[in-house]
Amino acid sequence: MDRREWLAGLGTLMVAASAGCKGYQYGHVINPDAPNLVGSHEAGAEVFDPLVDEAVAKLLARQQIVTADTPIGPDGEPLPKTICFVGIENKSAEDIGDFKDQLYQQIDSRLLEANSFRSISRRMVDAALYETRLRPDSLMIPDNMRLFTAVLERQGAPIDYLLYAVLTSGTTTRNSSKQRDYDLTLELVNVHTGLADKQTAEVRKGYHKSAMGKVWNYNPFKR
Amino acid sequence: MNRLRPMQRPASFTRPALASLMMLICLALGCSTHAKRLATPRSLFYDGRLEECRTSLVKLEKSRHDKDVVNLDLAIVDLLSGKPKEAETRLKAARDRFEELESTSLTEKTVSMWTDDQVRSYAGEDYEKILIRAFLSLSNLLHDGSDAESYTLQLQEKHESIAQRIGEAEPTKPHAYRPLPLGFYMRGMLREATLRDYDDAVRNYEIASSLLPDCIPLQWDLNRAKGGVHSQPGNGVIYVFALVGRGPYKVEVTEQPTSDALLIADRIVSAAGPYKVPPTIAPIKIPDIAVPPSDISSVGVSVNGARIGETHIIADVEDLAVESYRATRNTIVARAIARRVIKKATVAAAKQSMNTEGLSSVGMDLAGIAWEATEGADTRCWGLLPNAIQVLRVEAPKGQAYVELTPLLRGRPVGSSKPVQVHMIDGRNSYVLCWFPDARSTSQVITCTNGLSSSAVPPMSIGSAR
Repeated sequence: MDRREWLAGLGTLMVAASAGCKGYQYGHVINPDAPNLVGSHEAGAEVFDPLVDEAVAKLLARQQIVTADTPIGPDGEPLPKTICFVGIENKSAEDIGDFKDQLYQQIDSRLLEANSFRSISRRMVDAALYETRLRPDSLMIPDNMRLFTAVLERQGAPIDYLLYAVLTSGTTTRNSSKQRDYDLTLELVNVHTGLADKQTAEVRKGYHKSAMGKVWNYNPFKR
Repeated sequence: MNRLRPMQRPASFTRPALASLMMLICLALGCSTHAKRLATPRSLFYDGRLEECRTSLVKLEKSRHDKDVVNLDLAIVDLLSGKPKEAETRLKAARDRFEELESTSLTEKTVSMWTDDQVRSYAGEDYEKILIRAFLSLSNLLHDGSDAESYTLQLQEKHESIAQRIGEAEPTKPHAYRPLPLGFYMRGMLREATLRDYDDAVRNYEIASSLLPDCIPLQWDLNRAKGGVHSQPGNGVIYVFALVGRGPYKVEVTEQPTSDALLIADRIVSAAGPYKVPPTIAPIKIPDIAVPPSDISSVGVSVNGARIGETHIIADVEDLAVESYRATRNTIVARAIARRVIKKATVAAAKQSMNTEGLSSVGMDLAGIAWEATEGADTRCWGLLPNAIQVLRVEAPKGQAYVELTPLLRGRPVGSSKPVQVHMIDGRNSYVLCWFPDARSTSQVITCTNGLSSSAVPPMSIGSAR
């Protein structure tokens, strides 16, 4: 190959190169029934959506059981319980970023949809935390709880229950593969009696460095 | 293999002359460097003549290849002129543009082998991409704060994507990417200000303090987020962000190629044809980092007459620029060598195909030499950054707070103080942005108080002091 061929080669390369363009970005609307993307490095909607669905459904199912102590309204139906959803604590190994506020809103909306709960506005919760300067995790101290509920009562929002959501994770590693179990726990505490109810939902997820990792680690012949 | 020999034609002077002219047109693309073009705006900027600096930068903005990087400098000028909203708009444009340029254009890459790296669109260094988002958050906090949290989330996302990319490129190095503590600090600061998401604040302060283990104020922040509260009832918090010292910038230097660079260059050239890089090659022009000396090390903060302390480094821009340059230096040198080889081969091939001899051959050689000699190093960078971004958090009673900012060198005052009045709101953050390129700086101090998303918050106030 002489220099002319080499130059011709470079020319061809230039023409071919002109087909290359910079990274444009495109978007599309996803159908509601389409499956979620599965995050390759950390949890996403594919984990959090079922966690919220399951945890809230379990909590509602348990709380709809009518006991002798359940207050009954004039129509004979149990009165809805007023809850204060304090917030979500992320104790998992991952930073959940913008999911945190979304999870709060999802859980709050689901609870409101059920007739057994009446939730107070998050803005009122924030205002009470602002006024008392209490940390959400310190509300279980009796004095703090009294102060917090008194402030809410003064705002016209007396409450029966405090609701906490806690996201935790557990990680199992096997060579280059990793299994992470995500748990969402909803903890409901009666501010009058101090009694608590708790429901947990779990989603397990595998992360692999190779495409065959899933087949290799999760097959019927593997114990 | 039989090759057709070109038909011998009488040597003509016209074709070589045309070829030489074309080469001269090509070389005209790379005559001046960005560093030289930025010299005047930089000196105006450090003299505090921001309006003249802006006019000078706007002229540079017209050049297609400088436009994006000049936009960043203009954002700094806007921010320090007390126009955070305009700065935010510019930074958003730069962020989107750099995102777009993340996948390189093959056309530009190829053309740059015949001219120089300055013809390529400037896609920004990794640390610049992080700083764009940090400044976006800061600019937003200084006007309404409604999007500041989103920008810190974007900052984290960028951190993750860079770490992932570098981790995949260098899997043997466990800590190839060192993130910028500023982003984690700002995220922690904003999450703590919700008075609710202390767990997020802890997580972010922990990362920031692991990156700056000797920074004692970060330990205080971490301890407060773990067991304390944002502020005591009746108090608000002032965050003083200080842009300290003159930042690093790129200059053109002449460099003798190293053996590592020759090896990379050989791979580039071999990919384009059957040639090899010669074992020795004349010195080439590449960019290097220049760090101006600084006569200021931190900023002393007094509130209502009481000396509180001095600002501490949360982003060492100088270190970032030097580190980032070191990581890419061999590739830059290799590209320059490969370009030199390709240019030489192009001239030789042109001479052979046109059968030049005598005067026309000498003319083409001279044009080839001029083509190589006028090549410039790509010195584009965010040129108006400070040497370091520093911060100090101060809790103070609500109401008017009288803040004094004093430039310090190793703890001793080296210039006159700048007084500024800040409106403090109970349980909320107020932000002060000051700029001290040197001890005799006469720049503005920009302040803003905002209550983020709380409903119980009075309207924002912006003030400035000289």
